[in-house]
Amino acid sequence: MTIMNRMNQVNRINRLYEKGKAMKILVCVKQVMEGESPVRVNDSGKWTSPCASARFEMNPFDTYAVEEALRIRERIPGTLVHTITVGPESSRDTLRRALGMGADEAVHILDHGMGYRPPFLTASWIAAYAKGKGYDLILTGIMSADEMNGQTGPMIAQGLSIPCASAVLYEKPGPNGTHISIEREIEGGARDMFEVTLPCVLTLQTGINSPRYPSLSMVLRSRKKEIAVIPAVAFDEQEPGLRLHSLYSPQKERKGVLLDGTIEEKAEQLMDILAKKALLT
Amino acid sequence: MGKKTAIIAEHHNGVLSPVTYELLTLAKRIQESEAGDICFFILGADTEKPVQTLSTRTGEPIHAVCIPGLAQYNGVLYKKALSALFSQTPFDYILAPHSSSGMDYAPALSMALGGSCITGVEDVVRTDGPLCFVRSLFGSKLSARLVADTGPVVMTLEPGALKAFSPEEKSQSPNQVSNQGSIERSVLDITDDNMVYTGTKASPSEGSDLARADVIVSGGRGIRDAQNYKYIEMLAKLFPRSATGGSRPICDYRWIPYSKQVGITGTTVSPKLYVACGISGAPQHVKGMKGAGFIVAVNTDPDAPVFQIADVCIVEDLMEFIPLFIETFTKRRRKEDERNDLGESFLA
Repeated sequence: MTIMNRMNQVNRINRLYEKGKAMKILVCVKQVMEGESPVRVNDSGKWTSPCASARFEMNPFDTYAVEEALRIRERIPGTLVHTITVGPESSRDTLRRALGMGADEAVHILDHGMGYRPPFLTASWIAAYAKGKGYDLILTGIMSADEMNGQTGPMIAQGLSIPCASAVLYEKPGPNGTHISIEREIEGGARDMFEVTLPCVLTLQTGINSPRYPSLSMVLRSRKKEIAVIPAVAFDEQEPGLRLHSLYSPQKERKGVLLDGTIEEKAEQLMDILAKKALLT
Repeated sequence: MGKKTAIIAEHHNGVLSPVTYELLTLAKRIQESEAGDICFFILGADTEKPVQTLSTRTGEPIHAVCIPGLAQYNGVLYKKALSALFSQTPFDYILAPHSSSGMDYAPALSMALGGSCITGVEDVVRTDGPLCFVRSLFGSKLSARLVADTGPVVMTLEPGALKAFSPEEKSQSPNQVSNQGSIERSVLDITDDNMVYTGTKASPSEGSDLARADVIVSGGRGIRDAQNYKYIEMLAKLFPRSATGGSRPICDYRWIPYSKQVGITGTTVSPKLYVACGISGAPQHVKGMKGAGFIVAVNTDPDAPVFQIADVCIVEDLMEFIPLFIETFTKRRRKEDERNDLGESFLA
């Protein structure tokens, strides 16, 4: 071995050390209806029935979690990115998407229930799955776009008795794999900074990164990947503690005026209104 | 005995968050159906100022819990303290704000206490059966009524959803004898190495011109592309003392800097005129601008929630409407100027 080679090797090891210890990351993703899709209350009045035109996607908030995990893996070689979802058969598409983005493995907790599922159940199952598997970091979006609860992440942490920080906009694992430095967003856009002991759960705020699109080569490769399926009934039965009484379209009150006519007429009307209100000067 | 309700007061730098008084309204609404005691809890290293304010303004009993290591919000400490407190003295309902901290501790607290959790509550209704808590789903397109079967019920209340309890109501209350409610003080000396606060970074919107502008024109996802933000800028130029802003998504897409973000996590504004273009009206944005004197909304979706708070609703594509409006505006201005010129020549 030449001196140059030796030096390169030493440098590489040093770089590895600086970058931190390899991590095992679990990213929790959810399938949701696309934001623009119309939603309808189903006949029982207890949940939604998607319209025929409805399209589904990975919860946009969760795409940030997948991306952040992949970025950690790029920074810290040897890191593993696993992804997990809870939902019906069709939600496996979301895991395919995560694999297409670059995740290493995917687990599907299959729940055939088509009604309302309180976040507590989702979180209990994910926590039960993750227990004892040695995950250093569990990432998820700050909330789901459809139900907007923001409960699953914090509840997974509670289920595993590990700390949780929500609305995270920055993370940097410490060099020896015991801590992670994070910044969480608070009202007004300021950020509180914390040192958090690993393992922990982080729920990520939008904008922490720009999530990548799945690459063709990754998508092709991911098609061959096996997705582990665990039926939800395999977990201990839990009392959800919460039930949906009814679901309805809220009464929409419009306090203002809706402008009528052609687009030109609307422009004229707006001019008149603003002039009258003395808002044009 | 009745059902007991605890309210976790929120305070920053000695000042109570307005949602604290809205939480009292929620507690009173629960009380109407299920009579019982209400008690405020305030946690922190130094809570004397907010405790005094809250006590004088509401007359409700307060439990001030001094935690020397809690000068700043810390999720791990909050959960530890609250689960200890409520395991010792059980409550049926525990109300917290749907804020960055409330959302952070409420779900885990409910689990630690073996109860249930409802986040983003907007209202409480009594049907023929159980007490139902109302919250929005699917981008406010649907509302759900939820029933908790397992107590305690830990809830977070959407700020602005209910009217704040006002001191005038207090004086009308017949069973209020003294001006101030009882204040219990205790010290809880807990620490936790699992989450250590290391500082706060200022917001990127600090010092932005948004807070001072008379007119704000904002863009949302409806602009479809970063380069179309020019329409927002063009429209803003028509108004003196104007500024341009945007919704969170277009900041997340890096189309505009975060310093221009209007909303709870950006700048909260109250200009004379707010023009929302291609903004659907997510709660986080609406709460940051509904204090504007006059709101004009332009959106292609007639069901966009922004139209529920706008004074003028225009269902059009902003990319067609804005250029047309600018044209109308300049034409009229030209006409007015011509009239003025004529007037001057006549006078001369």
